[in-house]
Amino acid sequence: MSLQITFWILATVAVSGALLAVRLRNLIHGVFSLMIFFGALAGMFLLLMAEFIAAVQILVYIGAVGILLLFAIMLTERVAEDGGRRISSRGSFWGMAAAIAVFVALLLPAIRQTDLPKTAQTVQPSVEKLGQQLMDPYVVTLEVMALLLTAALIGAVAVSQGGKPKNEDEPK
Amino acid sequence: MSFELIKDILLATVPLLVIFPSLFAFTTWMERKALARIQNRIGPNKTGIPCTRIGLFGLGQPAADGIKMIFKEDIVPRGADRLFHLLAPILALIPAMLILCFLPLEFPWTKSMQPIHAFLLDSAVIFFFAISGLATLAIFMAGWASRNKYSLLGGMRAVAQMVSYEIPLVLSAVVVVMGAGSLSAEKIVQEQNFLWFVFTPWGFAAFVIFFIAALAETNRSPFDLPEAESELVAGYFTEYSGFKFALFFLGEYIAMFAISGLAVVLFLGGGNGPGAGLHPLLDPWVPVVWFIAKIFGLIALMIWLRGTLPRLRVDQLMAFAWKFLMPLSILNILITGAALHLLADGRLEALTRRPNHLYKMIEGANPAMIGVLWIGSFLILYAAACGLDNLNRPGAKPRNYKYAE
Amino acid sequence: MTLEHCLILSAVLFCIGLFGVLTRRNAIVVLFSIEIMLNAANLNFIAFWRYSENPTLLHGPLFALFAIAVAAAEVAVGLALVIAVYRHFKTVDLEKLDTLKEE
Repeated sequence: MSLQITFWILATVAVSGALLAVRLRNLIHGVFSLMIFFGALAGMFLLLMAEFIAAVQILVYIGAVGILLLFAIMLTERVAEDGGRRISSRGSFWGMAAAIAVFVALLLPAIRQTDLPKTAQTVQPSVEKLGQQLMDPYVVTLEVMALLLTAALIGAVAVSQGGKPKNEDEPK
Repeated sequence: MSFELIKDILLATVPLLVIFPSLFAFTTWMERKALARIQNRIGPNKTGIPCTRIGLFGLGQPAADGIKMIFKEDIVPRGADRLFHLLAPILALIPAMLILCFLPLEFPWTKSMQPIHAFLLDSAVIFFFAISGLATLAIFMAGWASRNKYSLLGGMRAVAQMVSYEIPLVLSAVVVVMGAGSLSAEKIVQEQNFLWFVFTPWGFAAFVIFFIAALAETNRSPFDLPEAESELVAGYFTEYSGFKFALFFLGEYIAMFAISGLAVVLFLGGGNGPGAGLHPLLDPWVPVVWFIAKIFGLIALMIWLRGTLPRLRVDQLMAFAWKFLMPLSILNILITGAALHLLADGRLEALTRRPNHLYKMIEGANPAMIGVLWIGSFLILYAAACGLDNLNRPGAKPRNYKYAE
Repeated sequence: MTLEHCLILSAVLFCIGLFGVLTRRNAIVVLFSIEIMLNAANLNFIAFWRYSENPTLLHGPLFALFAIAVAAAEVAVGLALVIAVYRHFKTVDLEKLDTLKEE
């Protein structure tokens, strides 16, 4: 019974957090509601007995991706001034129609018509098994992931540093 | 929600909520007295019993501070974001209090019931780091919401510092997890009932790195540039007055307690100590007392460092984290891996189904091997530190000071 | 709390993310919405794992872990690109970034 209540509370918080993140005009408020969404999702992972993933979700998304988004917003936008009427979204009616169409015509029938398993086995969360699985069958994926993250790190630094410095005393 | 569940939850969390804020009050008094004595003055000694002349060494000072802060006027700058201005101190306090629940601090009354102490998690160590990352967010909110250039600058510097020092923090905890073989805090404490991790060479290096990174995470001196009074007019809490400032202050000190608690669990064997078999009535209290005593030892060390070392500049801070501590902690992980491999006679299975590997360091090995292991690890780490130092600041020589005659 | 509830929740979140991508003009909000979609997919993985016949294989959490790592890398590079674009064009409005369009 309390599981049901927790699920509905977390679901409501997640959906409203996502909606607010997408619709708010003040971007900083949007990022914070996005973080509430991430937190609610971490709670859902805990409810589904995936503890390690819940911790990683908080660590990576709220602790790192959220802060990155905040810094990017501060570097690219003058958020504090609200002078003038800026259109923050165009065609939101058709966008909403498309999203609802995808939901109603594509996803909902897919869920309703599949034969879904009904009961859940008991799961003992254990990080040691996760580590063993990472090392034994999935070691190649782990190494590729490490390579990808290194490439992303180097790429992000290279892209954000800009090109060659301009030479100002060039004769025109 | 049955009554039993609520009673269990309250019984597990209310003691933490009562004990740690009172420890906070005591710590503020201790810090002011200790800093004063280091700086050759006396510190608070007049606030004792009110309306009399008896100053009990200034023990009434925390109460006086609390009363003053509650009665101060709450000023919010015009044009500031009111919601965030209110939420930021609350958000700074919640993660610190939440981490306290993960520490394996078992109070004796909970042992008589079914074993419940606040959160019994299998991956507790990762949750520690995940939730202490939330404090970064609160500081950014505080800096942003005040609509003040100095606050924003202080907030961004604080966030950059905290994010940079999270990496050596987590990497030095990885060493402990490798040694203990589990991420759960209780299992790590159990593995240390023979030998604490700080007495192994790689554990000692990891402890030093962890402690320095913990100082930077909680914005304590010598890394307290974001809240420095002489630089940024109190940085990100410039615009906070009264109760909100008290909440920030409380949050910072409880974060100090929480990270010291984590250091005690990971490295200093939290709760393990002599005196376990004295008296059956006192037995359940011994681990609790040892845990809190060790936390206080680390806090005293933090206060001592605050009174002694000068403050680092922000570029020195960041260079220290990225170019010095991070390579050292990675090297430390490599050394740990090699040493554990050697101690397990080169067989990987022996590491996963083992008795306590630290036994092998003492019982199965001869003193020569232990000596070689210590000296070898230290030489490698010291050489790495010197090499990194030369790489970062080539040609830096010690300064010769000229004193006035 | 059956599997169907979790799947419908994840579908709703995915559609909210889709709405955000299709509608907003600011490049950073588009990146947020992509993150929302990726998180919804992770929820799907974990829900299916929980109700599978052999949860000791831990395929759900593993896939979710890799998905989180890839999403984090993608956000980092995406934001670096957005900052580089801002430096050049002085705006992150997607409607104004049309220099590749034919006249």
